[in-house]
Amino acid sequence: MNDVIRQDAPQAPADRDRDREREVETLQPPVDIFEDGNALHLVADMPGVTRESLHIEVDNNVLSLEGEVRLEMPEGLTAIYAEVRAQRYARRFTLSHEIDAEAIQARIDNGVVELVLPRKETHRRRRIEVKAA
Amino acid sequence: MFGDLRRFDTARTQGLDWFRQLMDEMLPEAGAADIRSVPRGSFPMINVGRTDDAVRVYVFAAGLSADDLEVSLQDNVLTVSGRRGPEAAREDASAPTEFRSERFRGEFSRSLALPDGLDIERAEARFRDGVCEVLLPKREELRPRRIAIQAA
Repeated sequence: MNDVIRQDAPQAPADRDRDREREVETLQPPVDIFEDGNALHLVADMPGVTRESLHIEVDNNVLSLEGEVRLEMPEGLTAIYAEVRAQRYARRFTLSHEIDAEAIQARIDNGVVELVLPRKETHRRRRIEVKAA
Repeated sequence: MFGDLRRFDTARTQGLDWFRQLMDEMLPEAGAADIRSVPRGSFPMINVGRTDDAVRVYVFAAGLSADDLEVSLQDNVLTVSGRRGPEAAREDASAPTEFRSERFRGEFSRSLALPDGLDIERAEARFRDGVCEVLLPKREELRPRRIAIQAA
């Protein structure tokens, strides 16, 4: 009996460490980025993330995209096979100065995040007319 | 979520995928791979969990709706297939400049073998936030049963 206790004792801190590790662990969502006229578009796959668990932030020209997977799972569920091995998605991008951070729009639909990052008015493309001499 | 995933753990982050793939190519696994295994990161990603009375399959298919995903079962092999097209915003864009294109586009089909003893007739599937959950109840006679111990 004493042996059992001795074996169990050191396991507790190890479990705690593992929990902490898991908190840090994040998935990197795949993204598409493309430019169209006066805005950049960013599309990210974050399945399982809801509108409430999605956080988008721009701080000092760094755009950070974070979301927590919220799945309804019954008590006592054990994994028998898993490819998605973390609870959180996170990814960061540096914005260039011509993006108007105030005007960024975001929406999430079926686990797909779509961001529209418009350029500042002063940096929009302007066509220069060529006059006949 | 999936409390004991660590048991299956080999990779830390998806960010190392390219390196892992390179390594897999150079040093193929010596052991036998599952006959239906696919390269890591294939779309859609799938998690399978088990409770006392059912097996639950989670298909992480962002951007798809219930109509786009087909789930079928045959001989204990679950197949999910469908197609993911480009987003409306991209279609509207006239000749966009692409910087990154990491998201899967096109047709997909994935199969995986399920444990025995599932009641396929009572299977259910529902879609929420880009995750399709397939619930496959275990057959009544295979559920864990408690055996009462009688006093001698």
